[in-house]
Amino acid sequence: MTFSLTLSASDLLLLLPELFLTLWLCVVLAVDFSFKRIVQEQLAYLTIFGVIITLACLAWFDMTGITGTLFGKMFVVDRMAIFFKVMILLATILVILLSIDYVHRFSLFRGEYYFLVAMSALGMMFMASANDLLSLFVTLEFATFGFYVLVSYLRDDMASNEAGLKFFILGVFAAGLLAYGISLVYGETGKLVFSDMTGAAPTTGLVIGFLLIFAALGFKIGAVPFHSWIPDTYHGAPTPVTAFLSIAPKVAAFAILLRLFLVALATFKPAWALLIVAASILSMTYGNIVAIAQRNIKRLLAYSGIAQVGNVLIGLAAGTKMGTDSILFYLLTYLFANLGAFAVIMAISNSVGSDEIDDYRGLNRRSPFLAFAMLIFLLSLAGVPPLAGFIGKLYIFVAAIKEGLYILITVGLVNIVVSMYYYLIVVKKMYINEPLDSSPIKTTGPLRAVIYVGLAGTLVIGIYPQPFLDWAVAATLMFSNLIGPAASVTPPVTPFGG
Amino acid sequence: MAEYTLLIILFAPFLGALALIFVSNRQVSLVRGIAAGSAFVSLAASVYLFYAYDSVKGGYQFIQRIEWSRQLGISLHLGVDGIGTPLVLASGILLFAGIFVSWHIKDRMKEFYIWILILAAATIGVFMSLDLFFLYFFYEMSVIPMYLLLGMWGSHTKKYLEMTDPEGMKQRDSVGFIFNFGANSKEYAAMKLVLFLSAFAVAALMGILLIYKFSGLNTFDILILREKAHFSGPLATLIWLLIFFGFASIAPIWPLHSWSPVGHAAAPAATSMLHAGVLMKLGHFSIIRVAFEILPETTRELMPIAAVLCIFSIIYGGLVAYYAKDTKYVIGYSSSSHMGYVFLGMAALDYISLSGAVIYMFAHAMATGMLFAMAGWVYDQTHTRDIPSLGGLSNRMPFISAAFVIGCMASIGMPGTVNFIAEVMIIVGSWNKYPFQVVVAVLGIVLTMAYLFKMMRGLFYGSMAEKYSHSHDAVAVVDRMPLLIMITVSISFGIFPGHLYSVVRSGVDPLIARITKVVPVAELPTNIPQANSPTMPLPAPGEAIAKVTSR
Repeated sequence: MTFSLTLSASDLLLLLPELFLTLWLCVVLAVDFSFKRIVQEQLAYLTIFGVIITLACLAWFDMTGITGTLFGKMFVVDRMAIFFKVMILLATILVILLSIDYVHRFSLFRGEYYFLVAMSALGMMFMASANDLLSLFVTLEFATFGFYVLVSYLRDDMASNEAGLKFFILGVFAAGLLAYGISLVYGETGKLVFSDMTGAAPTTGLVIGFLLIFAALGFKIGAVPFHSWIPDTYHGAPTPVTAFLSIAPKVAAFAILLRLFLVALATFKPAWALLIVAASILSMTYGNIVAIAQRNIKRLLAYSGIAQVGNVLIGLAAGTKMGTDSILFYLLTYLFANLGAFAVIMAISNSVGSDEIDDYRGLNRRSPFLAFAMLIFLLSLAGVPPLAGFIGKLYIFVAAIKEGLYILITVGLVNIVVSMYYYLIVVKKMYINEPLDSSPIKTTGPLRAVIYVGLAGTLVIGIYPQPFLDWAVAATLMFSNLIGPAASVTPPVTPFGG
Repeated sequence: MAEYTLLIILFAPFLGALALIFVSNRQVSLVRGIAAGSAFVSLAASVYLFYAYDSVKGGYQFIQRIEWSRQLGISLHLGVDGIGTPLVLASGILLFAGIFVSWHIKDRMKEFYIWILILAAATIGVFMSLDLFFLYFFYEMSVIPMYLLLGMWGSHTKKYLEMTDPEGMKQRDSVGFIFNFGANSKEYAAMKLVLFLSAFAVAALMGILLIYKFSGLNTFDILILREKAHFSGPLATLIWLLIFFGFASIAPIWPLHSWSPVGHAAAPAATSMLHAGVLMKLGHFSIIRVAFEILPETTRELMPIAAVLCIFSIIYGGLVAYYAKDTKYVIGYSSSSHMGYVFLGMAALDYISLSGAVIYMFAHAMATGMLFAMAGWVYDQTHTRDIPSLGGLSNRMPFISAAFVIGCMASIGMPGTVNFIAEVMIIVGSWNKYPFQVVVAVLGIVLTMAYLFKMMRGLFYGSMAEKYSHSHDAVAVVDRMPLLIMITVSISFGIFPGHLYSVVRSGVDPLIARITKVVPVAELPTNIPQANSPTMPLPAPGEAIAKVTSR
């Protein structure tokens, strides 16, 4: 393994989005402490401006097809990395917009808040590009570092502190597992880069090592049985941070999971597919069933998020090119619906001061717009046509049925019905029940903007998904050599023979 | 212009709903105008479609195909055959009538019209989809508006069920009461409906996904699958059962019917009309479109299941309707019972009986639409649906009571209404194959007569309680028009069924020829007679109509 640490101009170009964002973050921090009287909003828009330029830079990469690797393949820029980075930055912009009306609740360090959000985004951008075990560890911890602070930002609030502590202890534990797993894998193979590991002999140490790495990543995406931190952390964290936590780290961790399982472990697919299937079934079933009992909307979305991750894992279990397409596409639909739902939650919490589902009674009479938006987002999460979530679920199911994962699909389909129940309970409160207090609810400009973006994304992708599907398909061209063992032979005739 | 007819029918209600979003709830006449206008455009286009459909040529016409997703092999492929055309027309009529039936809604009128337009448009979408994906897409899309319509504008049945008679005794209640475990709120009805239908819809989706995988064609297009996909053995059985029971739940076949009467009772009048009138037919239609078209051989083997279950549908639905005390329960159970006739017509796999089944769907849409509209009117006037406490309303509402008589006659299948033709065709067509079921069906007609007359007497004749003396008749044009439209359609097609019949036959003939004449793949002779080839001896449409009308 040769390591070249000299960077040429073309290498620097590959790092341009990250470098720019880093510099911009310094600017944000400098502006924050140089001008004592700066208004929070201006700082937020300053951060958003930088993120938008970074996005434009990524869009330019995507259009001109700039790709390559750096630092001895540690850092890779390919179209899949760009897709994930775009999703992360999109989520970042929306989360910053969500935060504008929330930051005044923080007693101290309001300026650093935006810095930390964008810094976590930067870490997750590196995660999307991580291509070996070392960069996996470093970027994952870099990204999580910001979240440890963000989750406990409401320093006077017990719940927020509890959330932060829980997240920190379990996060550090996961980091330990990850480091141990990496050391085992490196000890067995002597290799760090994912693409060099293909074909390694499956020794016991290697298997345990990968299991440990999977456990750490499972912690990040919140798949059962590594989910235990999710409900309390989501509940206690400041709502915009919860929104961020519910989408961005999952997206970034899925980028790593895809590279790990479909590049490094591509040859062991029959072995790990079983593991993913088990995690998927457990996540979907557990998440959906427990969500039924929730009284708090943030906890409800936490459990529904666990179930959604189970859905995404179906695509990974398929382990084909189409499976990866469907994962990318599904995460995109999830991003719009989930952040939109959090925007509505924030709007209601700002004026009602509560996240209890009972306080959503009669929302339709208090604010028809918010109720309608929430209806669309929840139905998209449930997977009802003509919304984006339906296409996402269907795409995943089609990818999975081509691989013959009948039991997994059956569980997934049954879970759609289960999830419909608790989403409809919220719809019932909003539309059918009468309000206890019928004063209208006002929404502010930034929240409205997020809701509009969420609605546009959810409806446009649902009604005309072709461009987004094309984009996801183009982003995963690197996996086009993946052909599952089931697809290479003629399809069996018996229904459960696959 | 003519080739865009289907797009106009489908998208006029959607665009109307979209336009309504931007209108304020206070502009009452504008809201009504947009709703009625978009429904009228859809209705006018579907009337044009019905008469422009070329029944001599047959097959799928007015085809539109818009590529939607290359990766998944999905296109927005629209087209109607002789089976879809009358059902599109029925949906158009019921949507237009439903807009007027709900003319006086006060609470959140704009939202009501938005959801009812989306509901109807999604239903219409199913009737014209030639792509399995879009068939499911529109099917599932029609379920969610039902939840909101029932929940927001529906009515509880609880208060009514706790009603006591003048002596202070608890009244003995409908059988439906026993079977819905005492939960009589509209929320319960709405949730039950959505979960029930969604649960079975995902079973159908599983069937669709299996078709997609094992056809190996990477397409959801029904026309391609019909020609090229072949399924046999246990796989075909499994797919067929998933498709059949997945869609039959909305039909609703016994024993999957329990969501339906509860839903009817809770729903507002216009929703019940669309629900019983066209939404239930999505089940039969989807079975015909998917199972009959793609799995003809399995259909021939397994359709006797429907023949068995339809007996229970007819008798059970009829008996419950007889004992029910709630007007909407009576009509709801009568609908479930009557849907058994459609299953009988489908199960016999005969030219006459299947045509009868399709015409019956159309006829039942008109008849039950009328009955639900009038039950809704009576409820609005008296605020009760309890038959024993009502009576003598014919003095107060002569028009409604006269229309009600016609509605009952149509529902029973009186000569002169289109229901008569349909019933006779089902009975004649099924006689050779299922004589026992035909006997049951005829007894079912007697039962229908019994419960409808009982309800009619209970509502409109006898003595009237003093508290209902303020109720009044439908006088205004907007109130009478929906009923008059449905009565006119029912009677005019009853007297002149020629075009309806030939349209339906042009759709049914190739289908039945395919199902009954195709020999199993293993026994195929070398010169395979193709399904639609002209060598197939088909009875001429004229000959068969002569046979029916001469009775």
